[in-house]
Amino acid sequence: MTIPQSTPTLPAPPGPIELGFALVDERELAAFARHDRLTRDDYLDQLGDARDCVSLPENAEPTHFFLGSEFCEHLLPSVESIDRAVALCERWGLTFGLVTPIACDGLFEPLRAALARLPAGSEVTINDWGVARLVQREFPDLRPVAGRLLGKMLKDPRLPSATWARMYPNGLRAGPFREILDGLGIGRLELDFPPFGAADMYAGIDFPVGVRAPYGYIAKGRICKLGSLSLDTPEKFSPGHKCRRECLGFSEVGARPGTHELHTSQRGNTMYYRHAAGMATAVAEAVANGWVSRIVLSGA
Amino acid sequence: MKITAPISTPAEVEPLVRAGARELYCGVVPPDWIQRFNTSGVNRRVFGNLNGYADLERVVEKAHALDADVFLVLNAQQYGEQHLDALTEIGARFRSIGGNAAIVADISLIASLAANVPDLAIHVSSVATCRNVESARFFAGLGASRIILPRDVTVAEISAITTELPELEIEAFVLNDGCVFEEGTCHTVHLPMNKGGPICIDNYQFEYQSAGGGQPHERALRRLEQNDLDYKRWLWYRFGNGFSVAPNGYPWGPCGTCAMPAMHAAGVHSVKIAGREGASERKIKSVELVAQVLRRIEAGESEEKVREFAVGLRGAPGHCASGYMCYYPEVRSRAVVGEVEAKVEVPA
Repeated sequence: MTIPQSTPTLPAPPGPIELGFALVDERELAAFARHDRLTRDDYLDQLGDARDCVSLPENAEPTHFFLGSEFCEHLLPSVESIDRAVALCERWGLTFGLVTPIACDGLFEPLRAALARLPAGSEVTINDWGVARLVQREFPDLRPVAGRLLGKMLKDPRLPSATWARMYPNGLRAGPFREILDGLGIGRLELDFPPFGAADMYAGIDFPVGVRAPYGYIAKGRICKLGSLSLDTPEKFSPGHKCRRECLGFSEVGARPGTHELHTSQRGNTMYYRHAAGMATAVAEAVANGWVSRIVLSGA
Repeated sequence: MKITAPISTPAEVEPLVRAGARELYCGVVPPDWIQRFNTSGVNRRVFGNLNGYADLERVVEKAHALDADVFLVLNAQQYGEQHLDALTEIGARFRSIGGNAAIVADISLIASLAANVPDLAIHVSSVATCRNVESARFFAGLGASRIILPRDVTVAEISAITTELPELEIEAFVLNDGCVFEEGTCHTVHLPMNKGGPICIDNYQFEYQSAGGGQPHERALRRLEQNDLDYKRWLWYRFGNGFSVAPNGYPWGPCGTCAMPAMHAAGVHSVKIAGREGASERKIKSVELVAQVLRRIEAGESEEKVREFAVGLRGAPGHCASGYMCYYPEVRSRAVVGEVEAKVEVPA
């Protein structure tokens, strides 16, 4: 399929918007390395057809580059890849960020080794309260960002109407939530834009907000169907085994028959929805109004 | 080690305690909640709750008379800031009638309860996905006295937490109601079955794609399809062997009874039986099953003997041999269940 050469644009927001790209597969760093500098189109090209599902302001240019997975402890990048990404970001003039998942205790030593490679001022996207404590205590020069696994909200693409989505409202404005994040030195939130979300849904939050686009995650497990591909039958679908990272080679796409719901896919242990045009417009409106100050482009 | 069991009516208290439960957990939807907030979402489940405060009082009174504790679930994944005061009031009222602990996942509510109802113990729900020592320390710092570990942890991971934090009570799943995704990172609702039910068993029609685009090669596709068949079988087990019970009335589905000796040795405080929404008979049989295993552990039987007993309880060791009915499959003993995977017919 032909990739369009332009993406819908909107007027510039009040302040400069930050634009990041989140890469999960460290092997793909090689493709990025051929660029002397990165442009918004370099980022958008990575999304393939899904670039049509993103609306960026005219002046949005790359400011951040992220490496790592929010969803799987087996996808923590090697220190060699982190070194390489850090060096590339220095060349491109971008801020580097390491993305980290919910952790089992066995991940903490590899995490320490990874975090130790980051230059001061690098961001760490945190999705586990224990990892937040680790970063605060042992790596105070890094800037922790609360990842989207900590920003809980209903994101079921099957909900029949917005009324259902109001059953469990998010708690992002709750005083204790803000105080706890403050206490951990977390200064920014990264969130999904949910089905039935309104442009102003992140207005008035006390933290700068980034939104992942054009894919939001619906659910993630620790059990991984694809990660069990190489295991003996009785050992499959259980925690604690080794993984060959099959999710980097395959994904599943589809829908519920007879519905016109959001485009849905599954990669490894995680299900995703892709933003529809109306959602992309709502995110763009949130950016234009200053309610969202960063877009992080990422695949599914 | 105690057995923690679900209840949804006061009538279930006595049979469950008599069967061996020392801790009971329940939810309640106060009558004014729906009027105030136009939602029944006081906790994670819309169904399986007590009818109101009067029932809650009866539950606490009956349980305490039988020397059992009662915990109240306020365990939605998240609450809006407009709910916090009302939930804190529910916690205070529960404490005032003698309730023992609140089961909570939302960090704001944990902080609010700790500040405003300090004599109500806080148990961190499995919905909080706390599964490492540092995270457990974080929740303890907020005021929690117990961590209910999520599903899909290993016994070694449980043991690491109990060893490192002996002052914290640790509760782990032992029976029923397996989720596919982690409860704390599954942002869906269990829709009515005619609208799709839980998303993990909804009728999604997926096709595989290679990372570079297009279909995988034929050989890879065959392996993926075989893996899908195994996964379908695992799902069948995960959902109670097709939502069924054994001929002797014991529930099928996710089970960790073989791991109970190891959990007992590791200092696990309580083992959790899931299923507030289930029928009373299922709850009672669940407690009976776990209690039989616990009694043998407490009597000092060897780990192997206990496992052998646990595997024999439902009279169908083939299901245990599949490895797919286990909460802690790594402790599945081939000496007990057999080297060769049992051939069990799984309906389509």
